[in-house]
Amino acid sequence: MLSRNRAAYAFLAPYLLIFVTFWLWPIINSLLISFQNTRVNPWRFSLSANWGRLFGDPAFYNALYNTLIILVIQVPVMIALATVMAVLLNSPLLKARPLYRFAFFAPVVVGEVAYAAVFRLMFSADFGIINKLITSVGLSPVSWFDNANAAMALVIIAITWRWAGYNAIILLAGLQSIPDDVYEAATLDRVSKFQQFVHITLPLLKPIISFCVVLSVIGTMQLFTEPFLITNRGGPGGGTETLGLLLYRQGFTSLNFGYASAIAYTIAGLAVAISLLNLMLGGEKK
Amino acid sequence: MAKIKLENVVKSFGAYQVVHGANLEIEDGEFTVFVGPSGCGKSTLLRMIAGLEDISAGTISIGGKVVNDTEPSDRGIAMVFQSYALYPHMTVRRNLSFGLEMNGNSKADTARRVALAANILQINELMDRRPAQLSGGQRQRVAIGRAIVREPQVFLFDEPLSNLDAELRVQMRVEISKLHKQLGTTMIYVTHDQTEAMTLADKIVVLRAGHIEQVGAPLDLYDDPANQFVAGFVGSPKMNFLKADVVEKTPDGAVVALSSDRKVRFAFPLSTEISEGASVTLGIRPEHFAPPGEGDADLTVAVEVAEHLGNTSYVHASLAGETVVIEQPESRHRGDRRHLTVGVPVGRLFLFDQTGNRLR
Amino acid sequence: MKSKSRSLLVQKIALHLVLTPLAIVWLFPLWMMFVFSTMPDHGIFSPEIVLWPSGEFAANFRNLQADTNFIRAMFISITVAIIYTALSVMLTSMAGWALARYRFAGRTMVVAIILGTITLPFAVVVIPQFIMVAREFKLANTWIALIVPPLFNSLGVLFMRQAFSMMPGELFDAARVEGVREWRIFLHIALPLARPTMAALAIILFLSSWNNYLWPLLINSRPNMMTAPVALGTLIGLTRVSWGGIMVGAVLLTAPVLVVFVFLQRHFIAGISAGAVK
Repeated sequence: MLSRNRAAYAFLAPYLLIFVTFWLWPIINSLLISFQNTRVNPWRFSLSANWGRLFGDPAFYNALYNTLIILVIQVPVMIALATVMAVLLNSPLLKARPLYRFAFFAPVVVGEVAYAAVFRLMFSADFGIINKLITSVGLSPVSWFDNANAAMALVIIAITWRWAGYNAIILLAGLQSIPDDVYEAATLDRVSKFQQFVHITLPLLKPIISFCVVLSVIGTMQLFTEPFLITNRGGPGGGTETLGLLLYRQGFTSLNFGYASAIAYTIAGLAVAISLLNLMLGGEKK
Repeated sequence: MAKIKLENVVKSFGAYQVVHGANLEIEDGEFTVFVGPSGCGKSTLLRMIAGLEDISAGTISIGGKVVNDTEPSDRGIAMVFQSYALYPHMTVRRNLSFGLEMNGNSKADTARRVALAANILQINELMDRRPAQLSGGQRQRVAIGRAIVREPQVFLFDEPLSNLDAELRVQMRVEISKLHKQLGTTMIYVTHDQTEAMTLADKIVVLRAGHIEQVGAPLDLYDDPANQFVAGFVGSPKMNFLKADVVEKTPDGAVVALSSDRKVRFAFPLSTEISEGASVTLGIRPEHFAPPGEGDADLTVAVEVAEHLGNTSYVHASLAGETVVIEQPESRHRGDRRHLTVGVPVGRLFLFDQTGNRLR
Repeated sequence: MKSKSRSLLVQKIALHLVLTPLAIVWLFPLWMMFVFSTMPDHGIFSPEIVLWPSGEFAANFRNLQADTNFIRAMFISITVAIIYTALSVMLTSMAGWALARYRFAGRTMVVAIILGTITLPFAVVVIPQFIMVAREFKLANTWIALIVPPLFNSLGVLFMRQAFSMMPGELFDAARVEGVREWRIFLHIALPLARPTMAALAIILFLSSWNNYLWPLLINSRPNMMTAPVALGTLIGLTRVSWGGIMVGAVLLTAPVLVVFVFLQRHFIAGISAGAVK
């Protein structure tokens, strides 16, 4: 029906206008800008100004290194933790379930700035509650903000706290979509609880774990707020500077939009590449 | 009240054609049933008449007016859907009045029509319930009521009874029939159930794979099917089909022998030319066998299963690999036998060529 | 039977022994946020371990308001989140409806583009968006800049499309036969039936707007147009600032969404998990 199709366009148009203006066009434009030298007026096409510079920039390699370190350590730890949370929360033996759900899921709604502030205060070197607790059991305090490794650990701890529950929610939904009779059949076959987890739960959960990993990779690749606010703009001395932070610094402190766009595209490219790799590895065994 | 006329109506989705040039006339006040197996295009045809599907080629007219480009609501039709399509968030009353309300019909007239429909269908006590609180049969009534309030020229039913259990289906079938008598409106009814078609229709349209195979009154289709498909589709249990060969040409026809038993032969009067040695199919309905010796030839079959329904029995038997169903009255008095001999009257036989066309 | 119930009991105890400490650790930062917000700064930075709230919340709030106009920032955040959520639910419902229930030229392409780009990080558009909004449209430090650009989010489109396409089509055909106009079918039949999905979507969108940090930080840096997270963020890292006040700000940012979370948990969880379990 022609008139009906016209109605469809009318329904779609307002959103599509916004989508094209503030998403689709900027995606393309970002690539175009990355090929411009934006430090001259007017901007000029230049391959070397940004992309050439990127591959020789130690600050870029430092940020890339930090980002990948966070990625490699934080994502597996968090996903494993989230899986444990989800499986335990799903147990029919659990009492006071709403309380536990609240504990793990509440961080999901907490804003980045609010939790960054708390973590910064909790982990402060001299009078932070964490160091006070550490010294109270006889260990020596950690200088969370002056030692690059400790600062990195802090960022990882913070992100894990914030996002583990989020992934647990997704995984729990996945667990609940596995029919009970599968487990009943396994129990009748004398398969132990642990074997059930390894041979039934994990394989059935794999696509969802894979989905969680992809989400986390995308998030980590553009990590910005935590190192910006918790470890004081990527400190100490660039020890927690991430690609997201480098992008911010180049784009909005130095106002070098071309270079920042090249970094942005690198972030996107890496995120897509790692996600695809994960999906390929995840989909291999069937 | 309206006549409906379809001329070379085609429906295609891209390169895939689902209705191939349908021609059909439906008289004013007639109850027409589109019947055929699933995927035959009967629902698509109905939806094209309703205006819910575009017409790829050809014309459809209702009441003498071509409606190809007319909106569904302006075609003077009302439709009852398979899933009833009741608005789940509205009461029965609102379900009935919603369409009229949205079209600016006056409050008083809407109330009048709703009350009338509620009376006809006896759903007065249900008016303030929601669809979820109704039984299947009650939902069906409401769905029909929603069609009635539109006071349409044509009612369209899309497999309206297929979600009901067997008993309710028979009951609603009778009610729809009564409704047609009461309103006298043109109705088109789609079903895959030949029993519904036979019991409801003034005129049956048999469809297969997007083609209209035959149009006619129920008993005409039963007595005189145009081809093997219609012969097999109309009637229950299905007509038996047996492989046969033309063994001899005679001046006014041919002699045909069963492939499984060359001794069983029938002489057919035929007006069409047929060559000797041609393969053909013989058709005979389970209820048309005769007692042994009373037909033109006798047939002995090996009994496999007998289904006793009380008033009659169906004997499922095999004849050299071909399955034959035979209706046997009072068979319980004959006990179980391994073999059964029946007579075959040639007047009850249908002859089809290899492509399924009727030979006469 | 005895041995079975005993092994169940052991399992039950082990389960709680693992989960309880983990839950306490997880709740600890939230608890400390609340405790800090009630402590004077000299208390926060004293050598004692304090795990229990005191009574300085109001004083801390006055300090916060002195450091930055937090009431104004909260007002902006709430207003923006409400308007953004309403607009976004409306736009994405309409688009989702179009993509779910009509066949029109370009439909598959639109779906493909949305699906293909939904996983791209926001970082990839932040520079051109900023240039466009701040420099070309000259809209920095405006309400529009806070509300309109984030409306690109296509999560809702997929979400609503899914909900609409799961509804039986005969429902809408029935309305068409009755002569109900397309936009009324959408408004009177489709939307009421999609209410649970819209609720889940609205919660997710509200939360994302409420907590949004990077975009408001870039585009609205003038103090009287800052959102609450941005205003609070500017205080973190200053040397002479009331940390008790910052914690009050953190509590004010967190408490409303925690309440929403507790009461609308079901919708909220449905919203988050919808993407994964298709």
